Amino acid sequence: MPTVDIDPDELRELTGREEKSDEELQEDLFGLGLEFEGWTDEDEFELEFAPDRLDRLSVEGVARSMRYQYGDSRGVHVPSTNSADWTIEVDESVPDERPYVTGAVIRDVDLDEDGLDSLIQLQEKLHATMGRKRAKGAIGIHDLTMLKGSAATEGSPTIRYVGVEPDEDRFVPLDSDAELTPAEVLEEHQTGREYADLVSEYERYPAIYDDIGLFSFPPVINGRRTEVSTDSRDLFVEMTGTDQWTIDKMLNIVCYALAARGATLEDVRVEYPDSELVRPDLSTKTKRVAHDRIETLLGIDLDPDDVIDLAERSGLDAARSEDEATGNEESSITPLEDRDGLEERDGPVGSDESNAEDAASTGDLVYEVTIPPYRVDVLHPLDVIDDLGRAYGFNDLEPRYPEVGTVGGRHERSRLERAARTQLVGLGFEDMLNFHMIDEEQNYERLGVSPGEEVYGAGEPATIKEPYSEDYTMLRTWTLPSLLQVLENNTHRAYPQHLSEVGFAAELDETENTGVGEGRHVGAVLADHEAGYEDAKARLQALARDFDVALETPATEHPSFISGRAADVVIDGEPVGVVGEIHPKVIVEHDLEVPVAAFEFDLEALR
Amino acid sequence: MQLPESEVAVLEAANADEATPVDALAAATDLPPETVTGAAFELEEQGLVAVTERVDETISLTDEGRTYVEDRLPEVRLYEAALEAGADADPVSMGQVIGTSGLEGAEVDIALSNYARKGYGSIEGGEITADSDADPAADPEGNALESLADEGTLEADDVLDQLERRGLVEVSETTTREVELTEQGVTELMAGVETAETVGQVTPELLTSGEWEDVEFAEYNVEADAETVEGGRVHVLREMSERVKDVLVGMGFEEMDGPHADADFWINDCLFMPQDHPARTHWDRFALEQPTHIDELPEDLVERVERAHREGVGEDGEGYHSPWDEDFARALALRGHTTSLSTRYLSGTEIGEIEPPARYFSVEKAYRNDTLDATHLLEFYQIEGWVMAEDLSVRDLMGTFEEFYAQFGIEDIQFKPHYNPYTEPSFELFGTHPTTGELIEIGNSGIFREEMLEPLGVDCDVMAWGLALERLAMLTTGAEDIRDLHGTLADLEFLRNAEVTY
Repeated sequence: MPTVDIDPDELRELTGREEKSDEELQEDLFGLGLEFEGWTDEDEFELEFAPDRLDRLSVEGVARSMRYQYGDSRGVHVPSTNSADWTIEVDESVPDERPYVTGAVIRDVDLDEDGLDSLIQLQEKLHATMGRKRAKGAIGIHDLTMLKGSAATEGSPTIRYVGVEPDEDRFVPLDSDAELTPAEVLEEHQTGREYADLVSEYERYPAIYDDIGLFSFPPVINGRRTEVSTDSRDLFVEMTGTDQWTIDKMLNIVCYALAARGATLEDVRVEYPDSELVRPDLSTKTKRVAHDRIETLLGIDLDPDDVIDLAERSGLDAARSEDEATGNEESSITPLEDRDGLEERDGPVGSDESNAEDAASTGDLVYEVTIPPYRVDVLHPLDVIDDLGRAYGFNDLEPRYPEVGTVGGRHERSRLERAARTQLVGLGFEDMLNFHMIDEEQNYERLGVSPGEEVYGAGEPATIKEPYSEDYTMLRTWTLPSLLQVLENNTHRAYPQHLSEVGFAAELDETENTGVGEGRHVGAVLADHEAGYEDAKARLQALARDFDVALETPATEHPSFISGRAADVVIDGEPVGVVGEIHPKVIVEHDLEVPVAAFEFDLEALR
Repeated sequence: MQLPESEVAVLEAANADEATPVDALAAATDLPPETVTGAAFELEEQGLVAVTERVDETISLTDEGRTYVEDRLPEVRLYEAALEAGADADPVSMGQVIGTSGLEGAEVDIALSNYARKGYGSIEGGEITADSDADPAADPEGNALESLADEGTLEADDVLDQLERRGLVEVSETTTREVELTEQGVTELMAGVETAETVGQVTPELLTSGEWEDVEFAEYNVEADAETVEGGRVHVLREMSERVKDVLVGMGFEEMDGPHADADFWINDCLFMPQDHPARTHWDRFALEQPTHIDELPEDLVERVERAHREGVGEDGEGYHSPWDEDFARALALRGHTTSLSTRYLSGTEIGEIEPPARYFSVEKAYRNDTLDATHLLEFYQIEGWVMAEDLSVRDLMGTFEEFYAQFGIEDIQFKPHYNPYTEPSFELFGTHPTTGELIEIGNSGIFREEMLEPLGVDCDVMAWGLALERLAMLTTGAEDIRDLHGTLADLEFLRNAEVTY
């Protein structure tokens, strides 16, 4: 799980709880689902978190959540923004793969070292999570005073998001002294090499220009000219990506963090060739949550005032809706009506015909719940109920066993497996449990067979694209290779070693929907000084008798077995396996010094 | 009369004039003492000898007692150190006295707890005084130890009790049996006693001929270890799996079954996992190289799942702002969790529509391209279970899981709110380890999201949970390296010696 580093002193300062000890803070953080993992080298808390609340990726967001938890803040707070001065103009030349951009101007920031570190961490953590390692969204933060925008639109300073040829222009990237083209950055600059894969396939590379020239090469690296330092007072934050909603939300999280440090937010116009946005989009969303659903999901009765209180303590606002409930969210598919983002729609495009059939069963009370713009995890009214439950304290709920009667039972295949295993154990076999993954050498070569050969066990393999190691490259096609490996690894243990496994095996099978024929095999090896064909056959016969099936063993040739001492296992007229004495070359290959008799067949045959 | 060989020997060795101890008879007959005792009781039952018992008490020094004979009692050493430090005049700091006394470890406590009792002085507030009238040379306990060491005997009195309480001496009782011929015994001996024939193996011939009535069976050494038998046995992890299945079937759960190599659609998309979720693009997944894609998926379901991903579910629902591609959904992989079985069953494609209420489970293999070490395997058994009913609450979830874990001795379950893309609310389950008492993570649970259930055509609540069987097995069997149990590196010796799980 991801981690975030938080300076406890900053946390005390931002929450206004100077009196809290480190231990108390850790306990309070655990209550938010942020688990203390240890101290960092800089004497900060390393906190582990579940990746839903991405608004808690920095100390500012964590402090905000704690203020709600302490009851020092209530309800939704939206910072105000000054009207736009700057414009981001999106040029037609922008690469199709990365068409979206957003931004905000932040004024009067007071960044000390801690504040700057926190901002850098927030940027990195957002890149790693929502930004999907910058592929989906990448953040660039610039010192505004270093930008020069010409008055392209009604006197407003403008920067331009464009696409450039890989070697079209030059700039000095961060951590470098040389002027490089974007293509050179990807080859020569350390950060460039790291993120080269994101853009190397593009025909034109994303670039951002001001009047002076190229100053940012998203999502790879910014230019040195606009680098932010503790002396920076005004910032320009831009984000580019593959999805407008994602970068807008990332921007909101950054804006909230900087506003929490006293900065002033200022809008930025984003001019696409055919539309215009004003960002940051700090509009709230509304979820309609039925009182009845809250009560059934949490299993408790709640007073409406309590619901509103719980919502406010979660940083939400809730108000009783004037409308009648539109009913159960579970049974209707309603097209999206109010998705934020580029393709903002005018009014509902979908239907309003939500199913109201059982809405009135326990009352019509519905809350309009306001979701603040930094939340990215609230998709559905359910997510609001989860917040209410956390604020109530899930561990304060009394467990109860659901009074619902059902009939239990085993799957037939699982019963058959168990029965076969029981009989094998009765015949003196030690039950084994081996991995389903193996490699070609173990599965085929060491048994003297080759993939696809027309003998039992040598079917074509289902193979793994990126195996953990060369020992696990495919699914085993039979169990004898695994059992022989166990024998090989236990030559220092007492004999006889009579091992069996009722287990999974698979091979390519075009008649299956998945293309993989999966089955259970019954495999057995008898390794002891006197083991011979008859010992294997005797036990096979006993199994056939136990399951009341007809067994025949016509002679066969199988490369894993001694010629003249191998037979097909034919059950009820169908060839389903093989029995015999393992060939000495296979025995020696497995470093064994005792004879081994063996059989293997399809479990299905016993059904 | 006829008697077994050993009884004849004892009868002949016994005396009518004086009782002979069993040891003496054993020496005379060249039989083990226990055989002689057994024979004597047999003979007594027939009235041929009388057996009398005498109980003797022996007192011996323990190791600790022997140490004090050498070094003298700790309290005496403390007293002498106290005197040396002038504690007979004024109280002296305890630390100082203990330092010079050379007492160490447990001896210090022993010295302190006996010091005042025996009148050597007093200990108060970290200071020690010494009573100048005390005389270590007259210490009754010390003297008793010495005389026991020198002469090997001691009168049983108060001092003995005290020494026994202090664990310095051991009092043991031995029973001596003596055998004396009775008059009847003498008479029978005069009349002549013959040795009856003894046999080893009971044979069919012996049984059918009736000869068994006249023979005596040779006595075997019944205490000796017999040859080791390696019988067949069920694998210890399989036993655990059977146990879990028993519990779940008992709780009304029905078992699921389905493919190990499956389309990502069933493994992830149906679970409302966005296609750009790190767990799906990350290489901890075992994608198949061959074959690559599933042939068919239910078209209308694919459509509904895609819509849920893109647009969400319900009037206020929102989807993910992530790409969704059917080709990606059709790609095959080894299932990373057995929740793929749950999505298949819930969709109605496996056994038809399932009506609430219903409970389903599986204990089956899942595959993770993670690290392979003492507690992690690339393949593990996942316990997966779900309950479908109208209006399930978080409390029902808690009640169900408490009941399940209680069957394995894991009590006091705690529910830590958590995040899963496919459940809301979600909880990590923590429980108290049955032997170490530590708080440990024992599973992940939640109520399936409507974005998952609605496309599958389920219009009631479903709560679910999962955990690794290996984790439960390691908790309840104390195994330390999971590789000893599972896989081709398995140690037969470990499996043979593993305690049976039931």
